[in-house]
Amino acid sequence: MQRATCSSSPGDVRRSVTTALHFYQNRQLDLYASKQAHRLSLRQLVFFGRHMNEERLIKSANYVRTELPVRIAHRIRDLQALPYVIVTQPDVAKVYELYWSAFEKFRRFPPITNLSDNSKFCDFLETLLDEHAPVIPSLSLGLSLCSPLLPPESLDSFMNRMLISRISRRVLAEHHLALSMSLGRDSLNSEDPHVGIISTALDVKRSIVKCAYLLRSRPHGIENDNGKVIPNRGWPEVVVEGQLDTKFAYIREHLEYILFELLKNAMRATGLKHWHDTTLPPIYVTVVAGKDDVGIRLSDQGGGLSSNSIQSPSDLFSFSHTRNATRIDKRRIRALRRASSKGVKATVAEQVVEEDGHNARDPERGAGIAPHQRMGLGLPMSNIFATYFGGSLQLVSLDGWGTDAYLQLPKLGTNLEGIEV
Amino acid sequence: MTLKRSFFLSHIRSTVSFHRRRCCGYHVRYAPEPQDVEISRLLTTYAAHPPHPITLSSLVAFGQPLTPKSLLQSVSYVLSEIPRRLARRARALQTLPFIVGTNPYMAKTLKAYQDSFQFLATYSPVTTLEENARFTAELSQLVESHRNDIPTMAKGFQECAKYMSPAQISNFLDGAIRNRISVRLIAEQHIALSRVLEAQSELGPTSHYGIVDMACSPAAVIKMCGEFVSELCEATLGAAPTIVIDGHPDTTFAYVPVHLEYILTEVLKNAFRATVEHHYKQFGSTSTKPIPPVTVTISPPPSPYSPFLSFRVRDQGGGVSPSNMARIFSYAFTTAGHSSPDDDVGGGPYAAQHVGGSAAVGEGTSRGEGNLFGEITSKGLQVGLGTIAGLGYGLPMSRLYARYFGGSLDLFSLDGWGSDVFVKLRSVDQAGNAEI
Repeated sequence: MQRATCSSSPGDVRRSVTTALHFYQNRQLDLYASKQAHRLSLRQLVFFGRHMNEERLIKSANYVRTELPVRIAHRIRDLQALPYVIVTQPDVAKVYELYWSAFEKFRRFPPITNLSDNSKFCDFLETLLDEHAPVIPSLSLGLSLCSPLLPPESLDSFMNRMLISRISRRVLAEHHLALSMSLGRDSLNSEDPHVGIISTALDVKRSIVKCAYLLRSRPHGIENDNGKVIPNRGWPEVVVEGQLDTKFAYIREHLEYILFELLKNAMRATGLKHWHDTTLPPIYVTVVAGKDDVGIRLSDQGGGLSSNSIQSPSDLFSFSHTRNATRIDKRRIRALRRASSKGVKATVAEQVVEEDGHNARDPERGAGIAPHQRMGLGLPMSNIFATYFGGSLQLVSLDGWGTDAYLQLPKLGTNLEGIEV
Repeated sequence: MTLKRSFFLSHIRSTVSFHRRRCCGYHVRYAPEPQDVEISRLLTTYAAHPPHPITLSSLVAFGQPLTPKSLLQSVSYVLSEIPRRLARRARALQTLPFIVGTNPYMAKTLKAYQDSFQFLATYSPVTTLEENARFTAELSQLVESHRNDIPTMAKGFQECAKYMSPAQISNFLDGAIRNRISVRLIAEQHIALSRVLEAQSELGPTSHYGIVDMACSPAAVIKMCGEFVSELCEATLGAAPTIVIDGHPDTTFAYVPVHLEYILTEVLKNAFRATVEHHYKQFGSTSTKPIPPVTVTISPPPSPYSPFLSFRVRDQGGGVSPSNMARIFSYAFTTAGHSSPDDDVGGGPYAAQHVGGSAAVGEGTSRGEGNLFGEITSKGLQVGLGTIAGLGYGLPMSRLYARYFGGSLDLFSLDGWGSDVFVKLRSVDQAGNAEI
């Protein structure tokens, strides 16, 4: 341990001592980072979950306990590989420290041997999930501010790796939590049949209608491009057509987040474009079930996506300001900063509030959506959710008229072998 | 001199072959005769000079104002620029692998280009309106004679599939088609201007400048093409969907109407056929359920900085499966590559079809019906729009046409429901600098 020899304030001394310690103690991390992530196929997860008993639950707990720190270690290495100046940026630094703390805590958690241990482990997982809520906005904020320091492909590929890994860890953790909760209960014969967090018969129309309802219950007022909130006379209707009885196996939270964000954008665009009109053209959502996947097309008349900030609709998925100039828009930065203290989990539930404005304890019964400033996370997160299991999200603009979003999600019941978590 | 040489050679050859036949009894392979020396030299000269990149605005300028003098300037432009382009095409064909060049379809095409080149390159200068009238008639015939170039070459390439990679063939065809579009633009602009000058006293003011219509109405073109495709569809499949035009139907823009017609006809043909076939598959061919319409949404250029008119053709024809999406823009030869009609691509209505009229009409319909549709479309469209239709080139060629002035064409599909074709066309008055 070196001491700082130059004259400096105590804080500086401490910091340089800490970073030196940091460097030399990286060995623990190296140990974990050198391990391969042990991926399970989704088929294994589902199969495992169908025949749940105490012994299997303990096994699941220990798998999560040992697997997650390996994956976190990989991400810490990714962060360590970023340019020094980027990770010292306060928002990125905060994420770095959160990851370290999670890593250390997991490393030190004792093996689980019985249900009581599991219960403590579940509490631990929940706390950690909450603690990590600031990651998405902070990382987004930090990297947007550092966007000039990285080429766009590196920036986007780093963010994508971080976010995809995050989804995988959350899926494993939440799946385990759900399995723990439903132990002893027959979750396949309930009203909403599911195995862990995978709903085996997710009703697509129902999810669309639910998201539409939540969005249309919002108070009238749209933030225009100048940040001013203009009153609108209502929200457009959402008309669902196609194969209305489509049901498939998927993670409800993921599907509803994507639908919610896409509908939110469509409603905003429609409201702004037709502000002067007496009626608003509806948004058409077409649902189709293919053999191996489900296709959902959202068609709005919101004027399309052509703008000075981007060259093509896919730029909207990028975190780099060279591809999407709005990333360094002052309002966006401010909104991200505000969100990074509370956190963003990228779910619909966290956006639903009670009448008093606090987060709804039961999102199914919350009073409505809290107004929030636009952070620019909806589309990139939707894209990551959509592609996570091998699906796709494409935005196509009919410039001057409207936008079509094509969402394709694989049915998790079929072809599960190739999909790994 | 030449005569003596070839006589001498053929004498040698026949002596040799006679000798061989007498001795060994096997055939000798002869390489084809080389081209006439004079023409060869002329071709080399022309091919060596790259074509002047002309912009659409300067082509249109011959007509603004249209006078005998400007018309004669136009004809001298035609006589210098078209041969250059034909020479480059001929050269490109000549540089294909030898074995490909010996294919009779490729050889036929090469000869056609060489002949047209020779005709134009050795044409005496046109100095009077009378001479121009004669020239224009001949030019018209020349353009007409090249109508089947692309299908002929494609047939040739199909037979040569093992000698060239799909990418090479694709690139070659792309270049050939773009070249063909240029030549036709230059030729037809001149022909149109000639006609206008002749009839100038009869016509009132018009928004047309030769082949460019400054106030081209997509809705009008859609209606016209829609009627044509509808008749074709009814005649062959027994029913046709209606077309609904929404968005901003009154939009107009500056474009070359014949290009728009081509694109729309091809896209509508796909949409109509898919819709009817999908409907039949679901409900049977005698069902009274209404056939879902094909909806075309027109959107005007949103701003002067983005001078693109967009439209979307939406159908409920069942869509394109993900495995076929990769193939819909490839030329017919790239799938299977066999000439046997038994090779069913099985890709549904939009899949590339084999050259020669055999249309891959979904699963379950007999080969005979499929062929009928293919043949009829090719015959029916021979009158107006060329024989390319019905051969599976609709999408890749439409895309080339759309991209020609800087636009785009994309297809998105909701597998199991229907497809959306998005076309963006650049208004040619804004892009007057578009090079041809």
